[in-house]
Amino acid sequence: MIRKNLIPAWPLILAMVLFFTGPLVLLFGISLRGPDGSWGFGNFATFLSDGFSRKVLFDTLWLGLRVTALVSLVCLPLVMLYWHAGRRMRGLILIGTLLPMLTSNVVRTFAWVVLLGRNGPIGQSLAGLGLVERPISMLYTEPGLIIALVQIEMPFLLLPVFAVINRADRATLDAAETIGAGPWRAWFTTILPQILPAVLAGWVLVFAGATTSYVTQSVIGGARLIFLPQYVYRQVGVLFQWPMAATISILLLASTGLVMLALALLSRNERLQAHG
Amino acid sequence: MTLDLTRRAFTLAGLSALATPALIRPARAAGSKIVAATFPGSWEDAYRSTLTPTQAQEGFDLTIAPALAQDQIAKLMASRNAPPYDAILVSPGQTDVLIRNDLIEKIDPTRLKNWDKLMPAAQSAWGPHVTIEINGIAYNPDMVDEPTGYKALFEDPQYDKLVAFTGFEQNAAVMAWTEINKLYGGSYDNMQPVWELIAKNIDKLTIATSGDNQMALYQQGEIAVFMCSTGNVAHLNDLGLNCKFAKPASGVPAVPVTIHMVKGASNPDGVYAYMDAAISAAAQTQMAKAPTAMIPMNTDVPYSDEISAFITPEEVAKAAYPDWVAINKHRAAWTEQFDRIVAM
Repeated sequence: MIRKNLIPAWPLILAMVLFFTGPLVLLFGISLRGPDGSWGFGNFATFLSDGFSRKVLFDTLWLGLRVTALVSLVCLPLVMLYWHAGRRMRGLILIGTLLPMLTSNVVRTFAWVVLLGRNGPIGQSLAGLGLVERPISMLYTEPGLIIALVQIEMPFLLLPVFAVINRADRATLDAAETIGAGPWRAWFTTILPQILPAVLAGWVLVFAGATTSYVTQSVIGGARLIFLPQYVYRQVGVLFQWPMAATISILLLASTGLVMLALALLSRNERLQAHG
Repeated sequence: MTLDLTRRAFTLAGLSALATPALIRPARAAGSKIVAATFPGSWEDAYRSTLTPTQAQEGFDLTIAPALAQDQIAKLMASRNAPPYDAILVSPGQTDVLIRNDLIEKIDPTRLKNWDKLMPAAQSAWGPHVTIEINGIAYNPDMVDEPTGYKALFEDPQYDKLVAFTGFEQNAAVMAWTEINKLYGGSYDNMQPVWELIAKNIDKLTIATSGDNQMALYQQGEIAVFMCSTGNVAHLNDLGLNCKFAKPASGVPAVPVTIHMVKGASNPDGVYAYMDAAISAAAQTQMAKAPTAMIPMNTDVPYSDEISAFITPEEVAKAAYPDWVAINKHRAAWTEQFDRIVAM
């Protein structure tokens, strides 16, 4: 019965094996080739025994976690506004969320170059308000990079949440308020559990996007903030060390995969499930 | 007269008509298509607008593919058996890597009509030099005084936080850093002076990701000084920006740029035609003008006004030509060391 149901999925399964799993296996194979032509886990040992490389790995994961946390903070009021809004206002919020996605990541990143630069509105406003002596640039700084990534990744959390919150049961909120819960407590104990699976799905997308965003990391972060995607490019495009590049790619995939797995397991936690 | 056409015959004829271009195109493509890599930006624009039409007249379908020199090599290494380019455009630093990895082949100069017009120094067995890039210091005269040399950028406080450099993946940066290292007592085998200098001044410098990135930062007013070629300054001037070229007191580093025939190129005849067009008087005259202002290698082509504003033929003859074989022995280690010093 199960096999019969799988028949329509075979083309997709075949495509996944050919174009996703196959290249991944190849990538893993290349990562096992040492500089002297020998095979083994030498590249992994070289990377993990080097303090600088470990720092780059840690910085990449830490960047992803900080962006995910900040996106959640920024999105919370928007989600609450969406929940309380009427049909028309919801439409406007949805358009506002989708609109930036109609332009490419590259365009949004270069827009942030203008905004964060010395002559941009942020630097000029700070100087105009007398908070700094002369206009400052936030380009090539960690706060600048995080601000840009938070804006770019926001839709990936908002859209799944908007999709789920439309179906959330309002009666549970009314019931909580009827028995004396304050508005915040009522919201967090009734609505939040219902949208939590969508929040966790969004976190996975935001985390994956922030840790692997080569363009934003290099254009806004510059050459002094080094994360794994630039490290991979450096190995291929400058040092021509393809096996080490494959090793770092596998480590990036594994480490981000582990964080995403942890988030996925969290979403299956019974106490966090809706109406748990 | 009526045409008696059954539905089956009509469908078959329609499908045949649709399939015809697909059957013809591969045969045509194999004979006339050339893919030539050039640097992105003004190089790409100039080569596409100047050489693509002349090649079309000769029956070759020239595709200009923009890629940085290091990226061109990375792509060739990734697919040796089916190279993505027929011709590539690089500097001696990369030529050495290409030769050692058996990725390019020597050319037959008799196949180039314009070969004898080239300066003797531009007649390389591995392909013609199409220009020499003269490097120096680009600065914004509205923001800072003309730098007297590299040392001033580190020692004169007016340049603090306004100077950009890139890492050792860029040829211009390699030339500048090695020259600076010499000024502070170092050599190719001893880069310690420059590492100490970078570490000491890192908070006063902007480290850009690429040469093009430096120009974008200059446009945005983020920086006022960067290590450049005369072509970079000509390009910024062409965009209406006030940018001047300063020649370091220690001498101007220079680097030829060469077209190479890729080993296993699908269309060698096309590559020869492309090389010949690139060193022809017509193309070299055009590219000597703004915004590219490329120093001509064809002896029939005089320096344009734009080039003369930067440099004279006598100064070009006296320029410093780095030892790229010696540099390449250390370049990977320098690149890694630089990253470790500048990383936040």
